Amino acid sequence: MTGRTSPRFVIVFAAAYAVLYVVAVEYNLALFTYHPATEEFHFLVQPASDGPAMYWYGWMATSGLSAFTIAALISWLSSRSINRLWLGCSWSVPLAVMFVFVYILRRYFIR
Amino acid sequence: MSVFLLIMHSLLAVALLGAITHQTISAWAPANRAGAASFLGRMRAVPATSYVNAIVVLYSLTALLGAIIYPTYRLNVRIVLEQMQLHVPNGAFELKEHFVALGLGILPAYWYFWRSPQAAEYGRTRAALTALLAFIVWWGFLVGHVLNNIRGFDL
Repeated sequence: MTGRTSPRFVIVFAAAYAVLYVVAVEYNLALFTYHPATEEFHFLVQPASDGPAMYWYGWMATSGLSAFTIAALISWLSSRSINRLWLGCSWSVPLAVMFVFVYILRRYFIR
Repeated sequence: MSVFLLIMHSLLAVALLGAITHQTISAWAPANRAGAASFLGRMRAVPATSYVNAIVVLYSLTALLGAIIYPTYRLNVRIVLEQMQLHVPNGAFELKEHFVALGLGILPAYWYFWRSPQAAEYGRTRAALTALLAFIVWWGFLVGHVLNNIRGFDL
């Protein structure tokens, strides 16, 4: 990775990961599921059977791999618009997604 | 074993908390020469760049240990919180889970922008990423601490 392409990669990765993560959570797009009671991993989403199902690892895997692919593709592009990518996307998009999670989970705090 | 891992998770979190707090203060309020003699002045005067690799490693390790002990929490703590109708601590932990995951996503950008501390054009981005990471670490630490106080080690 050169110094010229790296900023694009990390900016796009940070922004894409945040957006894809909230999408993965909202639509339950887990790459795999873990059942802690039976200590079993299953590919893609498997509903809870014997005890609860954990999708958190799968959501991170889905968003991490997808964001890596998107960031790698975009860092290969060299159009001007991409070169002018705003540095602030690396923190403002994840920050916005944090607020989205506060909204999604508001039922825990407002009863 | 899970108690040992939980204690290790807490100790790593304490180290991470100290490092990220010092770096955030240094990034947002760098010391001037006159203030460096006081306690706060010395906190502001720490070389922020020297914390970068430590913070990346500590964040990753703390998150990894958290991920390892998470199933124990899911089976033994969350169900109890739901039964006791402790919605706010439960929701705070849900937020912690998602914030920490988002923090992992900004870690490469954080590392990259601190890699060139002399680059003035990255100054604001560096400071914003550091503050965001600091908020996530503080949130995670406080929520973990409160939940541990509620449920204890369940020995």
